[in-house]
Amino acid sequence: MDASENRRAITVGIFVLLGVVVFVIGILTLGGQNKSFVKSIHISSIFSDVSGLKKGNNVWFSGVKVGVIKSIRFTGNSQVDVDMSIEASSQQYIHRNAGVRISSDGLIGNKIIVIDGGSPQAPIVQDGDVLQSEKLLSTDDIMKTLQQNNQNLLAITTDFKTLGHQILAGKGTVGALLADSTMAVQLRAAMRNLQMATQSASLMAVQLNRFSNRMNTKGGLADKLLTDTVAFNRIQESVAKLKEAANNATILTNNLNKASNKLNSTDNIMGVLLNDPTGAAKVQSTLNNLQQSSVKLNDDLEAVQHNFLLKGFFKKREKAKQDSLKAKM
Amino acid sequence: MATIKSITKFAPSRFARLKDRVAAFFLMLYRVYAFILRFFKEVFLPPYEFKEVVRQCYEVGVRSFTLISLTGFIVGVIFTKQSRPSLTDFGATSWLPSLVSIAIMKALAPLVTALIAAGKVGSSIGAELGSMRVTEQIDAMEVSGTKPFKFLVCTRVIATTITIPLLATYTAFIALLGGYLNVSQNEGTSYSTFMEQAFEPLTFVDFWASLSKAIVFGFTIGIVGCYQGYNSTKGTEGVGKAANGAVVTAMFLVFIEEVLIVQIAGWFR
Repeated sequence: MDASENRRAITVGIFVLLGVVVFVIGILTLGGQNKSFVKSIHISSIFSDVSGLKKGNNVWFSGVKVGVIKSIRFTGNSQVDVDMSIEASSQQYIHRNAGVRISSDGLIGNKIIVIDGGSPQAPIVQDGDVLQSEKLLSTDDIMKTLQQNNQNLLAITTDFKTLGHQILAGKGTVGALLADSTMAVQLRAAMRNLQMATQSASLMAVQLNRFSNRMNTKGGLADKLLTDTVAFNRIQESVAKLKEAANNATILTNNLNKASNKLNSTDNIMGVLLNDPTGAAKVQSTLNNLQQSSVKLNDDLEAVQHNFLLKGFFKKREKAKQDSLKAKM
Repeated sequence: MATIKSITKFAPSRFARLKDRVAAFFLMLYRVYAFILRFFKEVFLPPYEFKEVVRQCYEVGVRSFTLISLTGFIVGVIFTKQSRPSLTDFGATSWLPSLVSIAIMKALAPLVTALIAAGKVGSSIGAELGSMRVTEQIDAMEVSGTKPFKFLVCTRVIATTITIPLLATYTAFIALLGGYLNVSQNEGTSYSTFMEQAFEPLTFVDFWASLSKAIVFGFTIGIVGCYQGYNSTKGTEGVGKAANGAVVTAMFLVFIEEVLIVQIAGWFR
């Protein structure tokens, strides 16, 4: 083999080697993208509708690609069993109560599986586990909601149209406001009053401000109340006296209260007089007896005056009385 | 003096001409089939012409590398540039890497490589073997005891079958590089982001389908070039026809195979 043939063979060798290297790098890059050469676990979920999800589509967890769809097959009553390959390094973050839903990679992007939720209290997902699928909000559902919104919008605009017509026709308060010149004048007057009221309020606020400033002026009443210790001591004394008077009044009130309580009871003379009807009857009887006795006593005294033993005394007293009257005249 | 009637009496009828053509077509198919079968029969039997295979790899692969690399780079740049306005309309220029990689890896790399190789290598093989046939060098080899089919045909077909997949790999890489340069210049995308997005939509099925295509294209270009050259006739005119037939037939078959392999790959997705 001559030199040129050697060189040619080496060149071909380098060409083939580089080509194989580029190819292998491509394979490894693709394998890395598809998580083909990483340790993985298989989990699955059952959907009623996968909306065009395909084998090889990505699986996201918290917005990070953690695996790919390995297989999609029918199961049960027209349900779809989606088998996912999840890289083992992400396993510890996915819990058994995590939900699985079908989403989209961007607005018009590929369909993807999104795993979300899951509480730390739940056990970590294991190989072969079946995660709960969540219902997909399909484009049809979105369109349905949009249609509902359209109908609402139509109703609102129709109402506005009617309202506009009525306003233009001068119906209702707003229409009258726009069409009735008297009301406009009244409104203007009301506005003027409101403006005046506002000005007054503003003036009052200024005056209040001034007053509060004055209150804060050194030497003023408020300032003295707050700063003069002599006046404060006097006030304090007055308050103490007032407090004492109040205490005395309280005592007096209590005493009165006790006395009035006693008046309500029948264990004392006053209580008996006020409350006991039997006692009252007895007192009444006593009074009657006293009256009869006094009448009889009057009669007896009258009789005594005419007694010869005392007759002279009374005559003398009558004569002295007449003499004093004459002297006065 | 012969009348028109007497002349038409001896002229072949339209049906007869059609029959001859159909017969010729099926004869040609048989010859191609026999040629391919002979290749597979002789390629596994000793003696093995390693030196000649290496020389042919050099001629087919290394000598085509510059042309095919440049073509691949231009394809990458132009495809990216032309795709941008459509994606810009949707505000989806971030999808350029994915679009470019899908187009290049799934279709353009093997196809462009095969078309360039069909033009350069196929014609070269057809012309070379054709001239050897018309100058009776192949006959001389047969007389001298050298196996011309093994030495001339098997080595060339093996060389094209090996080197064209490698060239397609280079083309894909360089075209992606061209796409990256364009995307990087316009969108400021980093190399790692571009490559991540470029490989993201691809699967192993795409990879193996492209590799299979390149292998089949390489084999087709080699076998068609060799067949046309090895069976050329009619002197120097036949050499031109062999070269031309090698290019046209190879290109046509490449497109047919492209359609078939895409269909077959679709079954595995």
